[in-house]
Amino acid sequence: MKRNLRVMITGACGGLGRVLAGECARRGYWLFLTDIRQPDLDTLAQGLARRFGARADTWACDLTDDAAVNGLFAFIDARGLAFDMLLNVAGIDFEGGFLQRERQRLLDIVSLNIEATLRVTHAMLTRRRQGVPFYLVFVSSLASLYPMPLKATYAASKRFLLDFSIALRQELRGEGVRVLALCPGGLATTAEAMRGIAAQGVWGQVTTNRLERVARRTVDKALANRAVYIPGAINRLLARCGRLAPAGLVAALLHRRWQAARGHSY
Amino acid sequence: MQWVVITGATSGIGLAVAQKLAAQGYGVLGVGRSADRCQQAQARIQQSYPQARTQYFCADLMQQRQVHRVADQLCAHLAEHADGALHALINNAGCVRGWYTTTEEGYEQQFALNHLAGFLLTYLLLPALQRGRGRVIITGSNSHKGARVHWPDVMLQHHYGPLRAYKQSKLCNLLFAAGLNSRLAGQGIRACAVDPGLVHTDIGNKDAGGLVSFVWGLRKGHGVPPDVPAATYAALCGQDAPPPALYYYDGHPRRYSRRVTEASANRLFELSERLCGIAYEA
Ligand SMILES: NC(=O)c1ccc[n+]([C@@H]2O[C@H](COP(=O)([O-])OP(=O)(O)OC[C@H]3O[C@@H](n4cnc5c(N)ncnc54)[C@H](OP(=O)(O)O)[C@@H]3O)[C@@H](O)[C@H]2O)c1
Repeated sequence: MKRNLRVMITGACGGLGRVLAGECARRGYWLFLTDIRQPDLDTLAQGLARRFGARADTWACDLTDDAAVNGLFAFIDARGLAFDMLLNVAGIDFEGGFLQRERQRLLDIVSLNIEATLRVTHAMLTRRRQGVPFYLVFVSSLASLYPMPLKATYAASKRFLLDFSIALRQELRGEGVRVLALCPGGLATTAEAMRGIAAQGVWGQVTTNRLERVARRTVDKALANRAVYIPGAINRLLARCGRLAPAGLVAALLHRRWQAARGHSY
Repeated sequence: MQWVVITGATSGIGLAVAQKLAAQGYGVLGVGRSADRCQQAQARIQQSYPQARTQYFCADLMQQRQVHRVADQLCAHLAEHADGALHALINNAGCVRGWYTTTEEGYEQQFALNHLAGFLLTYLLLPALQRGRGRVIITGSNSHKGARVHWPDVMLQHHYGPLRAYKQSKLCNLLFAAGLNSRLAGQGIRACAVDPGLVHTDIGNKDAGGLVSFVWGLRKGHGVPPDVPAATYAALCGQDAPPPALYYYDGHPRRYSRRVTEASANRLFELSERLCGIAYEA
């Protein structure tokens, strides 16, 4: 087992990023963490050092800002770092009617979930360690598998990542790059997410994945060169049904479900 | 006037203890995580006991940065109003989490709040406790019996279970009290844990997850009102001599788990010091 992989995690201070960082630290990997606020990164890096004796470098930057990302890579190049794995976690989860949201907030979803992910991925692929496999993970979502009313932009952005991931995997196969798309259902990442899950009742309970297990298996599956990871048997079943049913019908069913769930929580 | 600090003083047991101690003439410093609920609790106490001296501070105690910040505020308040002396620190804030969830440090939330927060806050308030020859009272639980500490993975990243994590954190409360007593005996500081019994509060309905919330909804109805256990805290604060036993229920010492040993207490101290970046003994 390789113990000295160097791993970059974006969105490291969020709920999923923290658990993935903990999982990698537990395995003895070297971490490079980025997120938007430096004090948050410092706290996480300190926690990982205290808990696992982990080595974690950090750099705060806004991934939607091209110049800031150039700064990030200038820092990396100045230190001559090369990487074995990139976990693209940074992303906005988002819920609500299209017309109820401000225009800019909607564009932010595309700008972070899609543009920023491409920006970082492209730059990282030229900084991979030579002669060994490079592991690339995109955090898509179960939402990527269907058109989703009331989460239309978000779900479509995650669909982009899923298709992109599968295509890139094929394209870079010969170069030792292994690409995995993670499609989790609900995750109890924040207090808000926990309330959202609770509002969906039994449905929320059964489609929610255990964060620590998803983190562990995501790394396992990336190492095993898997293409897509949908955690949870029920979610896999839903994914299969979603693929078989006509998109219009799925959209109608989901619309009804989300409206009911929102009725609960408001 | 004697001053007490109570964490998780905005609802449930902590609020009942704050009210009782305010009524008995203690200066009460409450800590809660929500500014609104802090304000409400303070207003409520002030309304019932207009002569009470009560001040609430807001901090999410799972996050160590906020423990440090609120400890500074508490020390400043004590320095100004109480000559820097603290009579009792009541580490009571607690939570239940149906899912594995983490703090800013990446620590599991139940372990972080139910154990580490009190461990760190006590350390930061030691000077005030020394000055007041104070006592440290920790809200434990009888559910610690049968639990053990999963040393290689205390955060239960591998086999997380809500109850397992909760019970372990409550066992840690007793181990912490025991460890404090052996370290601070010479300084006149005494620590003990209280089993409040089954109490009718909403602890299992706060971001605990659907299943836990459902089960707690059925169970809490059998609990006693929070002012029942509050009497035990008041007695422990009120008696002249510091509480001699390690574990109390309903005003009396109670038997605790055989797993509360000196070796385990020391091991937990070492681990917690590392996770908090502190050292009790220089
Ligand atoms: N209820 C029982 O049957 C029972 C039995 C044995 C032991 N206990 C223990 O008793 C203690 C108090 O529980 P309770 O039943 O009174 O529950 P509770 O009513 O939920 O009270 C918990 C208190 O802690 C506060 N709190 C929660 N998370 C916090 C955070 N991150 N930072 C700061 N404060 C936070 C809560 O604030 P909010 O008001 O904002 O929620 C509340 O004031 C816990 O340690 C629990 O383990 C309870």
